[in-house]
Amino acid sequence: MSQRAMKKSGAGVLLACWECRGALAGVPPAANHFCDQCGKVQPLGGEADYFSFFRLPRRLGLDPAQLEKQFHDLSWKLHPDRFHQAGDYERSLSLERTAVLNDAYRTLRDPVSRVEYLLRLEGVRKDGEVKQQAPADLLEEVFELNEYLEELRAAKSAGGDARALDDLRHRLEKTRAAFQEKLDAVLAELTAQFSAWDERGDRAALVRLSEILNRHSYIRNLVRNVTEELES
Amino acid sequence: MGRIIGIDLGTTYSLVAYTEPETGRPRCLPDEEGRTLVPSVVSLEESGAVVVGWPARERLLRQPERTVYSVKRLMGRGRADVADELKLFPFRVAPGSESVIQIDLGGKVFTPPEVSAFVLRELKRRAEKFFGEEVTRAVITVPAYFNDAQRQATKDAGRIAGLEVERLVNEPTAASLAYGLDKHQRALIAVYDFGGGTFDISILRLEEGLFKVQSTNGDTHLGGDDIDNLLLEKVRAEIRTRFQVEVADDADRYQVLREAVIAAKHELSEKEHAPLRFALDGPSASFPSTPLRAGRASRGEYVRELTRAEFESWIAPIIERTLAPCRMALKDAGVKPEQIDEVVLVGGSTRIPLVRRRVQELFGRQPHTELNPDEVVALGAALQARILEGGLKDMLLLDVTPLSLGIETMGGAVAKIIPRNATIPASAAEMFTTYADKQTGVEIHVVQGERELVRDCRSLARFTLRVPPQPAGLPRVEVKFLIDANGILSVTARDLRTGEERSVEVKPSYGLTDDEVESMILESIEHAEADFAAVQLLGARNEAETILRATARALTEEQARELSGDERRQIESARAALEAALRTDDYKLIRQRLDELNQATHHLAELLMDTAVQTALKGKRADEVKL
Repeated sequence: MSQRAMKKSGAGVLLACWECRGALAGVPPAANHFCDQCGKVQPLGGEADYFSFFRLPRRLGLDPAQLEKQFHDLSWKLHPDRFHQAGDYERSLSLERTAVLNDAYRTLRDPVSRVEYLLRLEGVRKDGEVKQQAPADLLEEVFELNEYLEELRAAKSAGGDARALDDLRHRLEKTRAAFQEKLDAVLAELTAQFSAWDERGDRAALVRLSEILNRHSYIRNLVRNVTEELES
Repeated sequence: MGRIIGIDLGTTYSLVAYTEPETGRPRCLPDEEGRTLVPSVVSLEESGAVVVGWPARERLLRQPERTVYSVKRLMGRGRADVADELKLFPFRVAPGSESVIQIDLGGKVFTPPEVSAFVLRELKRRAEKFFGEEVTRAVITVPAYFNDAQRQATKDAGRIAGLEVERLVNEPTAASLAYGLDKHQRALIAVYDFGGGTFDISILRLEEGLFKVQSTNGDTHLGGDDIDNLLLEKVRAEIRTRFQVEVADDADRYQVLREAVIAAKHELSEKEHAPLRFALDGPSASFPSTPLRAGRASRGEYVRELTRAEFESWIAPIIERTLAPCRMALKDAGVKPEQIDEVVLVGGSTRIPLVRRRVQELFGRQPHTELNPDEVVALGAALQARILEGGLKDMLLLDVTPLSLGIETMGGAVAKIIPRNATIPASAAEMFTTYADKQTGVEIHVVQGERELVRDCRSLARFTLRVPPQPAGLPRVEVKFLIDANGILSVTARDLRTGEERSVEVKPSYGLTDDEVESMILESIEHAEADFAAVQLLGARNEAETILRATARALTEEQARELSGDERRQIESARAALEAALRTDDYKLIRQRLDELNQATHHLAELLMDTAVQTALKGKRADEVKL
């Protein structure tokens, strides 16, 4: 097989180590961190899927402690500090692989970004596609919240009296707390859907997850805006 | 591959350190007078000679317009960024400093990386003298909250000074390495680093030698300098009211006053009161501050007692400004103050009692102050250098990027592609295409910062992605943004239709291009060669004098009688030859004569050695008998 063909072929194909030419295991190239024979760090071989990088199935439920342990182990072995005295090629492989290790860990450890990532992998969502529309059932509360925000901004710029400002802040605090509660509930709802995908591979579950995610990011932005306004 | 030194390139002071390979212990290298600190001050003499460190600090009082200090605050910055503080500096900024500041020193113009390079070269020289060989590789520390342009500027400074910058390491992280907290413990650490010009807070998790930064925050324009400037303003205003004299009109006297308030500030860290005396029209100053005849307040002398309470009430707002970043860092790390196990204080400004109190209040625990806060960062840099040399295999730093990386999207909004506090190295890939037929370029604007709009973030770089002319939307170019372990961005582009990959030349918005750095290296290389030759010559001279003294002494010893007449004549002639060589500046000749004398005295040395060994053994036996 030509080198080019080898590069193009995906999972399950035996590849060879760049150093000793020994055969690499049949896992996807992204998970072939090292050569079993000579121990050299291996190239990523194209697009790396974060799940396979950690040799994990494409599932949403995962053990955070186990993931962290894998992250630590791989950091010790792959980090550019460990390859500083190596040749240029090996150093570049270490840099490339550690960057993906960090990207993958950052993405998978957080349930929300993990779902976002899975939805992109499965083609349910495109990059950066988020609906910024208020969910219908929240319209009234969002409207009220925006009103408070406007009032607070107006009062701040007018340098209004301290008691009125305090009162406004207090009301906003309460509204923020209410939305924070909703956010927690949405997160719980999100994790409750994990098993539908993990156990049955149900694509309808993905669509449902995408909807919950939209709701989540809408409320999250709302809480963030209020927090910023209160703290500024 | 040669040794790697660790350098703390500070706003006020810089240091160089190395790790002893045998013990794994870091130590700072002192000068002849035992001082490890080098003031980060550079002065350009009328003759064109460059003076660095303590002598430059003296010149700050006599030739303020030819002397630069705190240049770190200008690194990677444009004129608009630092307009306010430029007013406070005595030196002038040359026109055309929009993207890189140009400092005018008596008609010659230098960029901040060039000025920093002078300081670095001084440290390099100190290390070379210590090791007796050339040093070309270094780890340099930077404030954790430094952005890409400031990091790049620091790296450029290293290159200009003839140092390969093997790694930029964040100052608070370096400090945590040096603190020698029990590597095997699991602990959550807060490092509060308040230096001369910058403030950083980092929250780290330490686990079995893995130093994992959870979050970092800070202010690259907040430090002891700000306290000095505030004191200076207060005192200046008082002098104005009391004497109708504007001190700032006289650059020399103004620097003397600056030294005086700094001395008072230092004293107030130890005592409840500090006297402040300043002769309004005193003679040319002597360093560190003008000595005044006690008790005689003339009309032209400002005398005042500063109490700590008053000092604290003045500086409280500045200290307060460090607390918001602390709270942000805690929030980003997802921890409460009471969860922090250890608090470490770094930087000279943490000697101020009010700072210690505030930090203690915030975290609810006594902070660590065991190590010298001036040296701890350099020691950490030396440890990181040793890690890169392949030693210290049981320590590893995982640091983060302090600011989110984003790209400009339609309408001036920012799309974040790498969030702040992401562990580095980190990367992100974005797909780009065209929106008009036969379009050949796509403009990409990279920014750093937390805000939603491009205009509120810091512009890092702009570049044009070249694409083959095709119908709109057809080209597919994947652009990969990579932040390396130094926190510095690089960009590569891959045409997904052809598979062709190339790196993208990124023109920094605030900084020097590669070509500019290259030409600065060329300019400085002549200096560097001259410097190195001087160091070599000095080393050889010292060695020659040592061996001449030792030979003279040895020849008077009893054992020397065993030398043959021939041997004695050879030694005498080699001695004379070396003494003659010492009267020249010819390094090679001195080296050669030195080796010849070494050869000639070989037997003599053996004779002495035998006796020494016998004496040592006798001594040992005597000890054993006693036992």
